[in-house]
Amino acid sequence: MSTPDPVLPTVPSDYELIQPAGSVKLPALYASAGARAASSAASDAAAAATHKVLPALRDSPVGRVLPGALRKPRTERVGAALQVPRVAHVVEDVSAEPEWHEKFCRVVHASTHPVAPGSQHTAVFSGALHALAFPVAMSVLTRKDFPLPVLGMVHLSNTIRHVTDVAVGERLTATAWTENLGTHRSGTTVDAVVTLSREDGSVAWAGRSTYLAKGVHTAIADQGARVPEESSEERAPFDPPQQTAQWVLGAGAGRDYAAVSGDYNPIHLSDPSAKALGMKGAIAHGMYTASRALALTGVPAEVPFAWSVDFAAPVQLPATVAVSVDDDGRGAHWRGSRVLVWDPKRQRPHAEVTVTAL
Amino acid sequence: MSENTQNTAQSTPATGTGSGAAKRAAAPATSSAPQGGAKGARAVVVAGNRIPFSRAGGPYANASNQDMLTAAIDGLVARTGIAGERLGAVAAGAVIKHSRDFNLTRESVLGSALDPATPAYDVQMACATGMETVSSIANKIRLGQIQAGIAGGVDSSSDAPIAVSEGLRRALLKLQRAKTTAQKLKAFKDLRPGDLAPSVPSSGEPRTGLSMGEHQALTTQKWGITREAQDELAAASHQHLAAAYERGFFDDLVTPFNGLTKDNNMRPDSTVEKLGGLNPVFGKKLSSEATMTAGNSTPLTDGASAVLITSEEWAGEHHLTPLAEVVDSEAAAVDFVTGNEGLLMAPAYAVPRLLARHDLTLQDLDLVEIHEAFASTVLSILAAWESPEFCKDRLGLDAPLGSVDRAKLNVNGSSLATGHPFAATGGRIVASTAKELAARAKETGKPQTALISVCAAGGQGVAMLLRSV
Repeated sequence: MSTPDPVLPTVPSDYELIQPAGSVKLPALYASAGARAASSAASDAAAAATHKVLPALRDSPVGRVLPGALRKPRTERVGAALQVPRVAHVVEDVSAEPEWHEKFCRVVHASTHPVAPGSQHTAVFSGALHALAFPVAMSVLTRKDFPLPVLGMVHLSNTIRHVTDVAVGERLTATAWTENLGTHRSGTTVDAVVTLSREDGSVAWAGRSTYLAKGVHTAIADQGARVPEESSEERAPFDPPQQTAQWVLGAGAGRDYAAVSGDYNPIHLSDPSAKALGMKGAIAHGMYTASRALALTGVPAEVPFAWSVDFAAPVQLPATVAVSVDDDGRGAHWRGSRVLVWDPKRQRPHAEVTVTAL
Repeated sequence: MSENTQNTAQSTPATGTGSGAAKRAAAPATSSAPQGGAKGARAVVVAGNRIPFSRAGGPYANASNQDMLTAAIDGLVARTGIAGERLGAVAAGAVIKHSRDFNLTRESVLGSALDPATPAYDVQMACATGMETVSSIANKIRLGQIQAGIAGGVDSSSDAPIAVSEGLRRALLKLQRAKTTAQKLKAFKDLRPGDLAPSVPSSGEPRTGLSMGEHQALTTQKWGITREAQDELAAASHQHLAAAYERGFFDDLVTPFNGLTKDNNMRPDSTVEKLGGLNPVFGKKLSSEATMTAGNSTPLTDGASAVLITSEEWAGEHHLTPLAEVVDSEAAAVDFVTGNEGLLMAPAYAVPRLLARHDLTLQDLDLVEIHEAFASTVLSILAAWESPEFCKDRLGLDAPLGSVDRAKLNVNGSSLATGHPFAATGGRIVASTAKELAARAKETGKPQTALISVCAAGGQGVAMLLRSV
């Protein structure tokens, strides 16, 4: 399982800091990327599925680049040694607007608190900061020189450092890059890292998402390829803890989260659109599960914390999932929490969220 | 009557136009009589009444909470001959409530035979609502604030409120705030077809999403309560209730309503063998065998209850015989959200605290009433009190509380047989127990003490002590 980064991630020294090509405004950037995807791949069933959501995409607060990833699996690159683009995308003036933040929190059942006692400013929920930063990471993942096929990449884990609370409406700079290409028994892994920083350069929030490109077994040119984590590990039989909660997730749970996160990946929207991409049916967004799990924990206000999520079996919608929350201490004595989400029928885990005080 | 109230009554109308004394003097005679009694007075249960409890969707399907509560109050008023009386307060409530019923109890009083000048208020403490109303009315009497009051509760699972979905509700509220046509159109922008489906109340805990049955299944598993033990308790409940009806015990506790004369959930011929044939409904996804069935769980029920509680002085003046004193009560709550304790285990904590305050042990009690939300709730609580680990680690006691003599437990049947209209259950148990205490005190010539314990949603529970007078 993943552990939070021991230190804040920083952009590697040999990376070039650039603004994403085309536009510095995220909604415009993603709307045009989506439109390009839809027009250039009209014959592609998967892209056709995304076509329907374009109007909603334009309306969404952060926009989305995922359709850009539908253009072509980069099969032509297989065979060449892999390396990630040595660039970091920088987008300024990113902020969580009040109405959007309220909607996001409602969908993931998160409660809010002020940034400081008595403050009129609401702190942005850590899961919402991920949704805010995610498009910038996707702008790197969908670069032409990014070596892995983004479509179909599996989200393995996420680790986030929530250093200080960010106020709703506060302007931040998002910086995103990819690093850490690694071999895995099922393919190749890569990390997408995003930081949200203030004007003085201090990082308020940093997230690292690890993705797996299945079936890509190519030599890696970059340094620092990791030892495969699970390849020799025997899977222990699943022994669920005592259930403390249950979530009933409707068939529309993916559409609900797409509407607030802007992540209109067809695998989350409906059975037909998910099947078009080779899935058994619509699945819940991993970060929806992670955000709901985080919202259940007893993280006190104003305490810096790190949280990580490891994803196992996807949640096929609709679903009734079992949840266990285990808080270590409460209030001022809180040290950490662990949330396990699992399928009570098949007795297999969906996700595990670990939260620790920094 | 205390000096305090004497003085108030003697205040002259000349103290100012806006003064309470002036208003009282101008009001009719029934309203000017002071309601307060002596501080430190004992609060006694003098009578109780309920309508027979009906399984949801049955004869009360079209009766509202207000209809049923009014019927229960009117039955009590008729039986005790207090029509037209101005009581100090009427407290009641419902767990499942329409928003229009914000003043449910007051509206019921206005529709009853009581003096319309009787104040009333609503209470909501989930399934412990009835217990909390009894406690509240008794406390007012003990404080000398009032001399007589009615405590009660009502619930209808048939006439449940149906709300619009959260999405539609937000859109409609937005529409109401909109001023321009563009704003009005925009209000529906986020509306989706699924939002048009109505939302019905569920028995799920808001914080965990688990139904009460699924929560209890976790507790049942933890305490290793067997299917057979649960079915035995359920069969005993039906048999005890049937026997009580048979000997006329409920003749002055129940008033027929809508063609029903007895609780229609009661199965006098219930046996462990028959109950053993039912399929489990809760805990089916747990690792251990599922043991909770429709037979050893309470069904959704409609019904109402009311209890007349007064000072001894007031009872004497109205030629009513006190049945039992409301001695004290204790509420407890547990952290079920993190799984630290079972949802319905709060009474296991409330009871020892209440007993300790009165220097009593479980074995000192003559009657023990533990609300049968599920048979396994009762059995889990009993098991906890017998467990040295639980009593030491959770209650901080050197020795376990010990066991309860089953011959003293729920002697006239409880919720598994009568059904459980949430807020009405407390009033049912208090009235029946007070009557049983009075009968046993008369029979034995010794004072009798009863314990009542009711668990509630939200991890809460209320325990109460009644004593014969």
